[in-house]
Amino acid sequence: MFQYLIRRLLISIPILLIGSFLLFLLVASAGDPLAALKSKPGVTAAQIHTLSVQLGLDHPVLVRYWNWLTGFVRGDWGVSVALGEAQTPVIDTISSALWITMRLVIGAELIALVLGISVGVFSAVRQYSIFDYIMTSVAFVMFSMPIACVAVVIKGYGIQFNDVLVSLHLKRWLTTAGPPPGGFGNNLGQVIVNYTGTFILPTISLMTISFAAYSRFQRASMLETLNADYVRTARAKGLSASRVLFRHAMRNALIPVSTLFALNIGAIIGGAIITEHVFGWNGMGTVLVSAVTNYDPPTLMGWFAVTATVVVVFNLLSDLLYGILDPRIRLG
Amino acid sequence: MANVTQSTAVGTAAAVRSEFDAKARSQSSIIFGRFVRHRAAMISLGLLLLLVLAAFLVPPLLPYNYQDTSSGGFLKPGGGHLLGTDQLGRDTLAQLLRGTQFSLAIAFTVAISSTVVGVVIGAVAGYLKGFLDNALMRLVDLFLIVPQIALAAILVHAWSSTWWVVSIVLALFNWMSIARITRGEALSLSAREFIEASRAAGAGTWHIVFKHLIPNMVGTITVNATLSVSTAVLTEAALSFIGLGVQLPDTSLGLIVNDNYTQVLLRPWLFWGPFLAIVLISMTISFIGDGLRDAFDPRQTKVRA
Amino acid sequence: MRRSKAIPAIAVMAGAALMLTACGGSGGGDQGSGSTSGGATSGAIAKGESGDTYTAPKVNDMGAVVVSTDKPFVAYNNATADSVQSYNSYALIQVLARPFILDGNNKVLLNKDVMDSVDVTSTSPNQVVTWKIKKGVEWSDGAPWNCKDFYLAWLSESGQDVKPDKTTYFNPGSTTGYSQISSAKCQDDQTLVTTFSTPFGDYKSLFGISDEILPAHILEKQTGISDITQVTPQSPADVLTKVSTFWNTGWKGFKADLAPASGPYKISNWTQGQSITLVRNDKWKGNPGGPSQITLKALPDSNAQVQALQNGEEQVLSSAQPDPNAASSLQSLGSSGITYGANAGLNFEHLDLNFKRPLFQDEAVRKAFGQCINRNELVDKLIKQVQPDAKPFNSVIFFPGQPGYTDNYSDKLIANPSTAKQTLTADGWAPGPDGIMAKGGQKLSFKISHTDIPRRKQTVALLQSECKAAGIDIQDDTDPHFLDKRVSDGDYDVALFAWSVAPFHSAGITTYQTGGNQNYQGISVPAADDAFKKALAQTDASAANGDYQAADKAIAESYGTFPLFQPPNMWAYTSGIDKAYFQSYYGALWDANEWQKPNS
Repeated sequence: MFQYLIRRLLISIPILLIGSFLLFLLVASAGDPLAALKSKPGVTAAQIHTLSVQLGLDHPVLVRYWNWLTGFVRGDWGVSVALGEAQTPVIDTISSALWITMRLVIGAELIALVLGISVGVFSAVRQYSIFDYIMTSVAFVMFSMPIACVAVVIKGYGIQFNDVLVSLHLKRWLTTAGPPPGGFGNNLGQVIVNYTGTFILPTISLMTISFAAYSRFQRASMLETLNADYVRTARAKGLSASRVLFRHAMRNALIPVSTLFALNIGAIIGGAIITEHVFGWNGMGTVLVSAVTNYDPPTLMGWFAVTATVVVVFNLLSDLLYGILDPRIRLG
Repeated sequence: MANVTQSTAVGTAAAVRSEFDAKARSQSSIIFGRFVRHRAAMISLGLLLLLVLAAFLVPPLLPYNYQDTSSGGFLKPGGGHLLGTDQLGRDTLAQLLRGTQFSLAIAFTVAISSTVVGVVIGAVAGYLKGFLDNALMRLVDLFLIVPQIALAAILVHAWSSTWWVVSIVLALFNWMSIARITRGEALSLSAREFIEASRAAGAGTWHIVFKHLIPNMVGTITVNATLSVSTAVLTEAALSFIGLGVQLPDTSLGLIVNDNYTQVLLRPWLFWGPFLAIVLISMTISFIGDGLRDAFDPRQTKVRA
Repeated sequence: MRRSKAIPAIAVMAGAALMLTACGGSGGGDQGSGSTSGGATSGAIAKGESGDTYTAPKVNDMGAVVVSTDKPFVAYNNATADSVQSYNSYALIQVLARPFILDGNNKVLLNKDVMDSVDVTSTSPNQVVTWKIKKGVEWSDGAPWNCKDFYLAWLSESGQDVKPDKTTYFNPGSTTGYSQISSAKCQDDQTLVTTFSTPFGDYKSLFGISDEILPAHILEKQTGISDITQVTPQSPADVLTKVSTFWNTGWKGFKADLAPASGPYKISNWTQGQSITLVRNDKWKGNPGGPSQITLKALPDSNAQVQALQNGEEQVLSSAQPDPNAASSLQSLGSSGITYGANAGLNFEHLDLNFKRPLFQDEAVRKAFGQCINRNELVDKLIKQVQPDAKPFNSVIFFPGQPGYTDNYSDKLIANPSTAKQTLTADGWAPGPDGIMAKGGQKLSFKISHTDIPRRKQTVALLQSECKAAGIDIQDDTDPHFLDKRVSDGDYDVALFAWSVAPFHSAGITTYQTGGNQNYQGISVPAADDAFKKALAQTDASAANGDYQAADKAIAESYGTFPLFQPPNMWAYTSGIDKAYFQSYYGALWDANEWQKPNS
């Protein structure tokens, strides 16, 4: 097991290196970071030159990649080159955004996973039942629903709920726009009230889409395992229905979902872009969108490096999980 | 649980019976027969065909074309405008149908091209094994380490926001799962006797891949292709939302929904049309996918109430 | 001297070109209820305004307020080329004191809380401006706010600190005006004397309008320089390197010990990418502000801002990139005590015709194109949902409300395709079989190039159908990178973009003067050139007004550039606050020190 882990880690490193180099080329060729400055009235060639020297943009791309890579390893991720970003160190931007995003998405994702798996298993067991059809339709409506629209509607209800609280002479509880600027409060009671009030609405809206994906996936893989020979054998042996279902079928059916979760986590850490946007949580998604629209290569590279590393690590974890879930798989 | 066992048994029996009908039937007609009997899939297919026909045949019949800005902005439904007009005074129904055309075009381009790429890479890797397999699978890993939407955003922003650029970019980051699945299947198929036989007979790699491997994986491939159609519609909608997807003069359902979602209370007709069209496309295609999977996989044929 | 003032509102031009256009596009408010209220528009005049001066008024304490805007605060030093943007100004207006402030109508007011006077003390041989600072004004760390701080602003932005390789030590966002100051001398701690090498009428735009008066004593402490006024652009390289490095990089973000305040509020907390919190500056000598604490929060989605306002999470909403849907939701909230306002921003969308294209050397073509443009339709369909009283924009030099603004375009852009057709026919053009006019085998067809902002695409879509009736064929050329290079290379037929300019008229000169720096379209109007020359010789901005008006008129008569409209700003506030107004340069906080509860 340990050996396997080391081997996988060693394979990951060249992949990350090649990936980062290709991304660097891609990002470097996607535009001119000083374009906005150049099109601004009253900017002289000398000013542009000063800035370009200062930011190291006058070197060839290979040198820039090498500088970036060596800097990255040492913890110097470069500075933002987008106009108006004041050369903010990328590591500061990314780490503060990552913290915001993690707080927002992890809880929502875990709840969605548990709910999705339960619904998926139940739908598979009762395939083509009314429940199955309803959940399938719900999943697709949720899938297709623009999450922004879900958010607007949920926030609308939240505001009405608060209005009811106010009419009962209570304080407004649910908030719609990001973490509270002054922190969550001083005593435990206050923190709990503020914390839940802040997280409930975005969590519900984030859950909808992930829940739909997990439930569909779990249903499909559950159907597959329910028809597998070893499940049939287990049944034939006269094992109890629930034992067959949970010990044999479901355990194996979790494998694809865990892969999906591992792949998903990268996208999730990369930011629940839309949810962040409409709920005013300026996390990884916001960083990505503004780095793309303002064309900011160092920030983009930092962003990619972090999400790619997270994906690699989670893939590794999901591989390890395989070994636990499926007795046929031996790692080594 | 008992009824599951029972229904499986009955299902197998039904499948067995149909295979032992008086008339000898080819594999494909059996599959077709199973598909036709899948009710949800057939209804979905009908609805999807209707939608496609509407998207391409109705626009010329409308009193206004999609570019006509001569009417007032935000007219209510009625009169010449069945679904009212948008901000510029363009007919919403014409916009909606045009959006459907573009969304379908994007979805099918993405599904077809990513399936072709994924299947070829997966089949070659699975068949040849060894170094090439390893290299191709690392390539897959390489593509998987970055969130698709992020790369798509960069490329669309760097190139342009026409529908075909968006399609190509989405396809570029959508072939990996198909490649992985195909590789798995190719691995197990290539160990089978008929492949070994044709290899012994001197058939070349490409001949074996295209004449033997791929035809035998048609089931998996079709199912995954249908799934990627609906994924493509939804990913495009997400890209449009952050302003990095298709943009005018091209359009898409995602773009129209996102232009209008805040109007859901004020002018509901602007929102619900495109929204229902997206749900309809992704839902019908998935049901068709379900139907195909059941049809290709005899073990999954169950008796439906 | 030929350069327009580069201003913080860069976000409007470059930023808007790239802005997140998430939910925008269409939407609007034909329900018409609760539109701009009288209270919202009269808010343009500051309570402390008296003639040409300003003194912070006495107001009552109103507790903490939360204000939202589109983007986060980034840097305390908003004068470097890489940091300059309006969202820094939105907070700094209350933090950094300045000799002149602008009211809601962009009227320039002398800040009597910190200044005694600013006068032109000589006009020949050279223009000399003397700045007299009020005694006793302090930074929040107790150090005096004095001539040193002014001197540093000139030193950093003079552009005269050139290295042998032609780059400069300091990295300022703009050198306009400062580069014309040949000497800046501190006569005493309270008096700065600036001598201009060439006349500069807009001297009031210097030293503070763009947040450039930073704490020189902090820089001295950090760099070990004992007296900054001994450093000149010609000082030894090691000294300049030391000083400029700190100025360029030391004031990014917010570090409490490096970033004191000289205005009514000081920064107490900054969360990168999210929010900035201001509290009253206890060293402020003027009347203290009403809010005990101001939190300026970044909410990029204006619909999210609306719901936050509705939910009582914030008291004031402000957006320089308003979404029509959000605007119509706000306008329908009048009954819940929310006051909505919208005004025109300090920028304007316009069409530039490229004189290097043979087609546009033909005056009849330019004239006919103008005649088919229906600006009222553009304003009705694109702007009025946000700003119900919006009007087409009729000048390229003045903004509405400024003395000198005259309508030069309504008789030229007449929205009449048949007149346009006649103009063309008279010039020998004739309709071809496809309905498009042609002359000598050349079809009357051209491209309008622009970046991928939805509003620009919509503008082109409307122009296309308006001019089709006149036999003019317009192609849409959307290029996300259009403003990167193509516009300055003059690589277009017709360009559609926005100029964002400070409310100082010299801004227009380089754009429309023959051979000017931003004259990308190759326009050349001798009458305008003469008028600009006269205007530049004036040492006082108001004396130059007539010359600018003449230039404006001459440019209009050349049919070379067509101003369309001003993109709007919007704001709204709850009933817990007596007034708020979006200052087009400084955002919603420009008068935050005057806020209090209504009827208190």
